Amino acid sequence: MSNNKKYWKGVEELNNSPAFQEVKSKEFNEYLPAEDFLGDEGLLANSNTSRRDFLKYLGFGVTAASLAACEAPVNKVIPHVVKGDKTNPGVANYFATNYSDGFDYCDIVVKTREGRPIKIEGNKKSPLTGGAINARVNSSVLSLYDEKRYRAPEIGGTPTTWSKFNGTVKKQLSDALANGGKVRILTNSITSPSTKKLVADFVAANPSADIKHVSYDAVSASGMIEANKESFGVAALPTYDLSKAKSIVSIGADFMNSFPSSIELTSQYAKGRKPENGWMSKHFQFEASLSLSGSNADVRMPMKPSEYGKTVAAIYNYLNGSKSNVAPKVKMAAEHLLANKGESIVLCGVNDKDIQNVVIAINHMLGNYGTTVSIKRASNQRQGVDADVASLVNDLKSGSVDVLLIDGVNPVYSMPADMDFKGAMAKAKTSIVFASRPTETSVEAKMVGAAPHYLESWNDSNPVAGHYSITQPSISPLFDTMQFQDCMISWMGLDGNYYDFIKATWQAVTFPMQSESLLFEDFWNTTLELGYFTGKTAEGVELTFTDNASAALSKISKIKSSELEIEFYSKVGIGNGNQSHNPWLQELPDPISKITWDNYIAMNPAEAKEKGFAIEYGEQKDADTINITINGVTFENVPVVAQPGQAPGTLSVALGYGQTIGKSNEIIGFNVYPAVKGMMGYATEVSMEAAGEKYQIATTQTHQTVMGRTSVVRETTLDVFKNGSKEDYNPAHMLATHEGPMNVNDVDLWAAHPVATAGHHWGMSIDLNTCIGCGSCVTSCNSENNVPVVGKDEVRRSREMHWMRIDRYFSSSPESVEDRNYGEMESPEDNPMVVHQPMMCQHCNHAPCETVCPVAATTHSNEGLNQMTYNRCIGTRYCANNCPYKVRRFNWFNYMGYDKFADLNPSQDDLGRMVLNPDVTVRARGVMEKCSLCVQRIQTGKLDAKKESRPVMDGDIETACSSACPTNAITFGDYNDKSSKVLAASQSNRAYRVIEEVGTQSNIYYQVKVRNTESNIA
Amino acid sequence: MNVISFKKPAIHFLGLFSFLLAFSVSSTTLQAQEDGEKLFKSYCASCHSPGANQLVGPGLAGVYDKYEREWLYKWIKNSGELIASGDAQAVAVFEQYNKVIMPAQPVTDVQVDAILDYIKVYNESAPVVADAGAAGAAEVVEVEDPGISNYAIAGLVVLFLIVIILLRKVQYIFTAAKAREAGEEMPEETTLTQALALTVSQNKTIFALLGIVCLAMFAKVGWDSAFGVGVYQGYEPEQPIKFSHELHAGTNGIDCNYCHNSASYSKSAGIPSPNLCMNCHTYIQEGPQYGKEEIGKIYAALDFDPVTKTYGPNQKPIKWVKVHNLPDHVYFNHSQHVSIGKIACQKCHGPVETYTVGKQHAELTMGWCINCHRETKVQMADNGYYDEIHKRLPEELKKQYLEDGTITVSELGGIECAKCHY
Repeated sequence: MSNNKKYWKGVEELNNSPAFQEVKSKEFNEYLPAEDFLGDEGLLANSNTSRRDFLKYLGFGVTAASLAACEAPVNKVIPHVVKGDKTNPGVANYFATNYSDGFDYCDIVVKTREGRPIKIEGNKKSPLTGGAINARVNSSVLSLYDEKRYRAPEIGGTPTTWSKFNGTVKKQLSDALANGGKVRILTNSITSPSTKKLVADFVAANPSADIKHVSYDAVSASGMIEANKESFGVAALPTYDLSKAKSIVSIGADFMNSFPSSIELTSQYAKGRKPENGWMSKHFQFEASLSLSGSNADVRMPMKPSEYGKTVAAIYNYLNGSKSNVAPKVKMAAEHLLANKGESIVLCGVNDKDIQNVVIAINHMLGNYGTTVSIKRASNQRQGVDADVASLVNDLKSGSVDVLLIDGVNPVYSMPADMDFKGAMAKAKTSIVFASRPTETSVEAKMVGAAPHYLESWNDSNPVAGHYSITQPSISPLFDTMQFQDCMISWMGLDGNYYDFIKATWQAVTFPMQSESLLFEDFWNTTLELGYFTGKTAEGVELTFTDNASAALSKISKIKSSELEIEFYSKVGIGNGNQSHNPWLQELPDPISKITWDNYIAMNPAEAKEKGFAIEYGEQKDADTINITINGVTFENVPVVAQPGQAPGTLSVALGYGQTIGKSNEIIGFNVYPAVKGMMGYATEVSMEAAGEKYQIATTQTHQTVMGRTSVVRETTLDVFKNGSKEDYNPAHMLATHEGPMNVNDVDLWAAHPVATAGHHWGMSIDLNTCIGCGSCVTSCNSENNVPVVGKDEVRRSREMHWMRIDRYFSSSPESVEDRNYGEMESPEDNPMVVHQPMMCQHCNHAPCETVCPVAATTHSNEGLNQMTYNRCIGTRYCANNCPYKVRRFNWFNYMGYDKFADLNPSQDDLGRMVLNPDVTVRARGVMEKCSLCVQRIQTGKLDAKKESRPVMDGDIETACSSACPTNAITFGDYNDKSSKVLAASQSNRAYRVIEEVGTQSNIYYQVKVRNTESNIA
Repeated sequence: MNVISFKKPAIHFLGLFSFLLAFSVSSTTLQAQEDGEKLFKSYCASCHSPGANQLVGPGLAGVYDKYEREWLYKWIKNSGELIASGDAQAVAVFEQYNKVIMPAQPVTDVQVDAILDYIKVYNESAPVVADAGAAGAAEVVEVEDPGISNYAIAGLVVLFLIVIILLRKVQYIFTAAKAREAGEEMPEETTLTQALALTVSQNKTIFALLGIVCLAMFAKVGWDSAFGVGVYQGYEPEQPIKFSHELHAGTNGIDCNYCHNSASYSKSAGIPSPNLCMNCHTYIQEGPQYGKEEIGKIYAALDFDPVTKTYGPNQKPIKWVKVHNLPDHVYFNHSQHVSIGKIACQKCHGPVETYTVGKQHAELTMGWCINCHRETKVQMADNGYYDEIHKRLPEELKKQYLEDGTITVSELGGIECAKCHY
């Protein structure tokens, strides 16, 4: 962790003695004979080399060197020896596969160029995720090219070969199994039916031995799994359908980010948030820290995490008729639920079986099972049961475990301190850890299996009942790696490899579920191409409901609160920490705090102010630090940040940090997992004190509120939208002229663009109502457009290079807007309303940047694009100064060549450069850059249309951001195509352009945000 | 179960195995009226020359008269069957050409007729070197400079010098005569250079003018050479294999697209991989110029044993030297120019079929690109994309663009920055 401690080199410096001061003033400590040499005139006069000669040689040398540099470098071009049918240089191939790391599940399509995966997008055809994706999944391609990856297996820290590795393991396993020894397999939540079968086969093959497979989730959903087992007899998670829910009540569940199957939930949620449909879901959120879901809620109530249970109980009781003593917002939620029986959902994120039992009872009581909630269509996306994990750790501690196998998890890092996994693991006779890069766990292991990246592996997945998909490699393994499953097959002495095993499993399990293909190979190839298979859900499972609510309620009433509580949450970028080493995710600003490269203790701003902590952060404004003890674990000198919306009396802190990144092994943030006692998402035993030091915070947005400007962000309520006219919620900008008020679009200095109606006219519409601020578009843009990572230090100087940013605005209360007290407007309330606004180049028809460029490096195309020509730019930065949207970025450094950046960002070293998109120029130092509206995709789309002799169809071309948006908030298209969605959107009543009154005539429209709320309750 | 989506063909999501299965040569859809040249190039050219010279198979000149049509149909469609059936003529041909079976060709009788017609026409009209693909070369015409030629200038300079020398002689004679008349001493005759130096050093205006002219000349030379920086027109590096385009594209008339096939669908034209060479060089093991040496390098790359015709495991790629190097900030797509713009390869690459060593024909500067975009007509006919674009053009623009009867690339935005720079 970087901090501002005082460092000294010795006691002299500490005491600052006169001798030390004298030494300090000299650059060189030893005697330098410079005076003797320069002072001797005779010496210089007798020298053969005069000053003129020196300059002559210098001049000649420089000229010769620069002439020599003009020589063309000899480039080699090396064709394949035997070219594959479809591997053509310059043509992209797409592979359907999936991402399943035990935290996120997503059906994806991988784009490869010249055989290298360079971009990950959602699989639009998937019935499960429907093309939705999040920042973590679309950034995962970068981890493939991580310099730090294991390149060979290791025994005792020394690299070895796979035959030696597998031979050693096989011997140790057979020794242990012959003596009836204990073997423990610890993995993440495996959704793969083949892997599960392989493990089951392994257990079955050794009936006399004690073999157990335990699933472990760092962010556990054990409470939910156990509650479902008690209530329905199924140890799994339910699936939800938010698109049908008119009433959504979430108690501490960040279902857009960290809740199981968040990607599916996010895309479903958006379907119920379209006011044009005539209805909109109403979303209530009860939570301590302002989460991504909370920031999108219609009604949000901050509360302590220990009160979540009581809130669930209060709703349960209210539905059962005891309506006294209920908080107004809880009452509102309960009544809304009652009014929408069978079309509502109650979600709760607390890892507590009793609370989850009551939640199940509520959903059952409301008749939601079968409509919006289903346990029959169960989800396998979290499988870890805390008790099983605890018993595994106890087995280890007893020293009786012979072989411990770990794959896909990092328990030394993520288990609570009181479980002491490191100590427990050391007692296993053999510990084998599969990891793709060194982790806290793998460095403690006796043997390390170098695991391939998921883009190099075969696997399959069954994330929810009935949905099957295949993970296929899109590149040959870069290093000498082997999957855990392939090793298992080798240890068990089975024939073939894991690929054959998967095929055999599919032939036995999924092939009989269908009747379209008669031959298995046909079925396999079709599924492989499509990426998924929709099979039958398990039938005949009786789901009788057992009501456990009353017993649970009495336990809930005993939950203790305290003065100060802390909630552990997962950040949108870092998640549970699986990809903490990914710089794209580290540099992705948190959607709420807009802070990058750090975790921190978030605190209510009023309380922070009262305690004297800094509440504003910037290059010159640092955060204060505190020492905090959570559940007996002390973190010293950690930053504290004022977070609007944080419930009073609570703190929050993000998990997944404290791991190293880059070549320099810098540690980012601090690891809070040791304090997560009992895998509970919050703690009540918290004490803190000011540490008195300063900590540098890198935030991308320093102001907090929208400051009363109505032309940047426009929002209204559902009531006004339905019953009012456009003038009520989206009035046109009028200018006072000598002819009376005129619409701003009718007053123009410039002539209309000559070809605005001819050819193509590209543009975009962004729906502020469905934009949830998740940042998936930002990382997708980074990956598509080779946007460099600049690191914390440069972000602090406001030099981040993101072409797309999401502006987060808090809204203050209406009174302060009237008062025009800007100072007050800068401090949002305890519970502000939030608007997320994606912002990038608006491609103005009358662009202010174009008129000021002295070298015409930024010009307008006849297709409506504002073009940026890097090779013409001389870096005056006039354009950035003249841009009203502040979307232009300047290359202060040669980010690809400068070690300072290559140290941080794997995509800037030799291996990582393979992730670059070859169709987009890597910008040099000293030039401007900005969003190009993915002009490379536009050109490709047009060329494809020409080749197929057809017009460009609406939806053919998608920008990186629009394709990555899980809620389809971004629509890209051609305004000159009369049937295009983007044209319809730009003509809708909700359409407006940001700061339209300055007359830029931008090509990006926004749709007014509509809240399903009564105007003064938030 | 979602039956519909399961059945849908998903062309974008190419599974590793499904594309292997999906790959098949679509062939039977070719219409008979398509000219024989195209058919010849796609089916026959890799093994046969339309002339008399032998490649893998014999040259086809005269084949149309030598054999009966009906027999040719059978032979071309499935020679193996014909040989197996014991047809005497077929067995004779098989024996004559090293017992290599000609693969069965998926062609119709009408198509065979068209091919034979082409071969006939080819042999009757162009008895010597084929100008296959040389059509584009005709477009590359040396343009004479319309200004005054250098000879005229040199002539004028000589003329002026003679006049000056004569005048000086005359002047000297007059001066000398005058001096003699006056009885003075004869003036010494100065040389031309001495006189010039005297005049220039005594006349400041001439001195200044000369200085300015010199400076301007230096500036011009400097400017021109600065423009030459980074231009490698005529770049002709030595390649690891002495491959001759003259032999392959010229003499043997192999279509450019046969080896550089990705030019029609990809950004890059591609260097053929050695396994493509083997389509012909499995059998042609000796070249006319370098014998076995250069062809042997392909075998070395593939670890191929020409005697046993088997491949070994030690394959290593050939490292060619790239001739055309565009800067990284330029996006160039071959398929746009070849498939959509229908530009002949020779337009940019020059008469490749005459090159023995590959070289850069054009200067590849931005001005060169832009000029072509200004002059070249967009191939709008029979392209649904341009139909729609044309429909969208407002009347006044149609009139303005079509003033000269053509719509050029630049009129549709082809000289905008972000068409090539992004």
